Amino acid sequence: MQKSVISIGPFHPLQEEPEHFSLTVEGETVVDVDVEIGYNHRGIEKLSERRNFEQSTFVIERICGICSTSHPFAYTRAVEDIIPVEAPERAKYIRTIIAEGERVHSHLLWMGLAGHFLGYNTVWMWVWRLREEILDVMEILSGNRNSYAMFKPGGVRRDINPDDIPMALKKIDAIIPTMDRLKKAILDDPVLHARLKGIGILSKEEAINYCALGPTSRASGVDRDVRKNAPYGAYDRVDWDMIVTQKGDVFDKVVVRVLETYESIKIIKTCLQQLPSGEIDLKLKSIPPGEGIGAAEAPRGETFHYVRSDGTNRPVRHKVRAPTFMNLPTCKATVPGSTISDAAIILASIDPCYCCTERMAVCTPGGERIYTGKDLIKMSQDKTEKIKREMGIK
Amino acid sequence: MKLPKVRELLEAIKSLSHRPYTSKFPFKPHQPFPSFRGQPKYDPEKCLGCLACEEICPAEAIAHEDDTKGDVPKRVMIHYTDTCIFCGCCEDACIADHEGIKLSTDWELAFFDRAEAFETIEKELQLCEICGSAIACKDHLKWIAEKIGELSFSNPTLYQSRLKRLGVVDESILSASRDYGRADRIKILCARCRRETSLTTPASPAGGKGEA
Amino acid sequence: MTRAAVLRDFQDRFREDILDFFDKSPKRAYFEINPDALVPAATYIFRDLGARFHIASGVDARTHLEILYHFSIETMNLLISLRVKLDRENPKVDSLANVIKGANWIEREIHELLGIDFPGHPELRRLLLADEWPEGVYPLRQDYQEWDKKAVRDRGV
Repeated sequence: MQKSVISIGPFHPLQEEPEHFSLTVEGETVVDVDVEIGYNHRGIEKLSERRNFEQSTFVIERICGICSTSHPFAYTRAVEDIIPVEAPERAKYIRTIIAEGERVHSHLLWMGLAGHFLGYNTVWMWVWRLREEILDVMEILSGNRNSYAMFKPGGVRRDINPDDIPMALKKIDAIIPTMDRLKKAILDDPVLHARLKGIGILSKEEAINYCALGPTSRASGVDRDVRKNAPYGAYDRVDWDMIVTQKGDVFDKVVVRVLETYESIKIIKTCLQQLPSGEIDLKLKSIPPGEGIGAAEAPRGETFHYVRSDGTNRPVRHKVRAPTFMNLPTCKATVPGSTISDAAIILASIDPCYCCTERMAVCTPGGERIYTGKDLIKMSQDKTEKIKREMGIK
Repeated sequence: MKLPKVRELLEAIKSLSHRPYTSKFPFKPHQPFPSFRGQPKYDPEKCLGCLACEEICPAEAIAHEDDTKGDVPKRVMIHYTDTCIFCGCCEDACIADHEGIKLSTDWELAFFDRAEAFETIEKELQLCEICGSAIACKDHLKWIAEKIGELSFSNPTLYQSRLKRLGVVDESILSASRDYGRADRIKILCARCRRETSLTTPASPAGGKGEA
Repeated sequence: MTRAAVLRDFQDRFREDILDFFDKSPKRAYFEINPDALVPAATYIFRDLGARFHIASGVDARTHLEILYHFSIETMNLLISLRVKLDRENPKVDSLANVIKGANWIEREIHELLGIDFPGHPELRRLLLADEWPEGVYPLRQDYQEWDKKAVRDRGV
């Protein structure tokens, strides 16, 4: 059978950032996939060497817009590990609250986008409206909806006013009933079961061999979570569960993210109610020569930072590793064997931390035909309609 | 299979009868929460012109320009709105009790021309009386003198600035004193001229010239 | 096995190749090993101890180049870092990509940013840098000079 090469990207409807996938296709089935990245490379590791430790935190925060708290969290833990020293108790609780608030809003954003791509536009609008509640809570606590600027080596920069806590708790409690309705609507739907179950399976051995992280690996039965294995912040003082499922297909990844949102809401409420009093900043004056390693759990997996200092006020080497760097190569194991309309949703199910728009070019021996982003979304929505018709639901 | 559809139908009817969740901006203004981090604004009275905010800004969004040639020497502090990341480091670093520059809750900052996207304030600048280069803003010298109290009498730049502000020292008194070159030592000088006068003017009037 | 037993066992197994051992804190341990012993040591930690491979960080210390391989044994909250020191003129170390599939992209990135060669790697091509980036210019080295004369250096207004 003739092979054609389809390239998706660098602007793609479901991914939020540019990356380029080339799918080698025989008929309707994908046979091979190749990934090219580097469109968003900004040289952040070199930028860190030009700024001192505190200014570097703001550059690090802007590596990613959605998982923007996990990077400064890991970086400040790495700088504190050089000495080594631990942040004060109240600072740990405040850091945990901000990190979990970000996890809630990131998972809700992904659920909305997945709903849109599958053709469930109502789910998209409901979920993003629910997200406004948690963004309001973040604005009350930290001053902004997305880049919180709360972290600094040695503690946090702003304190939480006790007068704001009742309003924040009220807004968080307002999320839970709608989350319950949404959870039942998503997990009970037979069309979603038929569409998402059994595609893009990542087995447990592959997940370990590729060193996959976060919900991508927890959906395959690998019980790894930095918050449980190497506890930091207030995670060992609060009661919560790690969500692990066994099958490793796209449906399991949805289930893991939906259930993790509940655990995060539980952690935020407990931390707000049990906030200890005390200092919020250690006021570190100088960092001695040495090396430090810090890790934090982002919504997509584990972020890892390595910092080396030589006694001056600037880092000599700063190594950043985002979780998607380890999750993306798993597409070589999950995508071959599926159809084109499934390939896009499998690539999106690892929740790549990237930005997006449109184009896709199909190169056939006869000539070129360009699909735009609208065409690609329409293809996926058409497949859902077809499944609905087959099941007799309309 | 029917029950989930009934549940969704009820939800749909409920949201039809409810008012929309979105607000009516721009017809009604939007007030953010009081702790929202908006645009930083200088306070011309409280700012000392010490440049601490310029040193610490991670995005290099604050700059300054010294005008030493005009009638009134002044320092212009410039804050670039399009480069600012609204982090609040400038407010944390301000030595004037964090009041010289503060984050307001302004967020409607759109503009058409990038070359106009900045805000300025002006502070009066103290020049060196021998070479004419800039030392520091007058308010900053007054702040240092007040902060270190009586220790400021060890440095003529500091105590002269303070006494002039208080109106105790008159310009004509200084120029009337006899000048064996030593009058240079009690003028307001920049660091380089201070070193030069300390090393080259005679130590005592009677000892005469040539004694370093 | 306890933490002390694991570390002692590793030191016994690779006694001739371990050049230095720094026991920094209960959660961190740093070993410096001979570059030729990297693949057996890493295979032992990954397969037999069941550790997870985080990342490899390449560093340009001024007199030599270094790579640190970070593994963590999750059941006992221990992070082991293997340090390999390489010569500046001709840096090369055997590739881990055939043992750990996740190391494929990691080594490609170190190769293009620091100029270290990995013999045995299946396909050592560019990952992050643009196609028009010149060959032989390694951005993360300390002696990197700006080569693009047309790049914008100020606010651009």
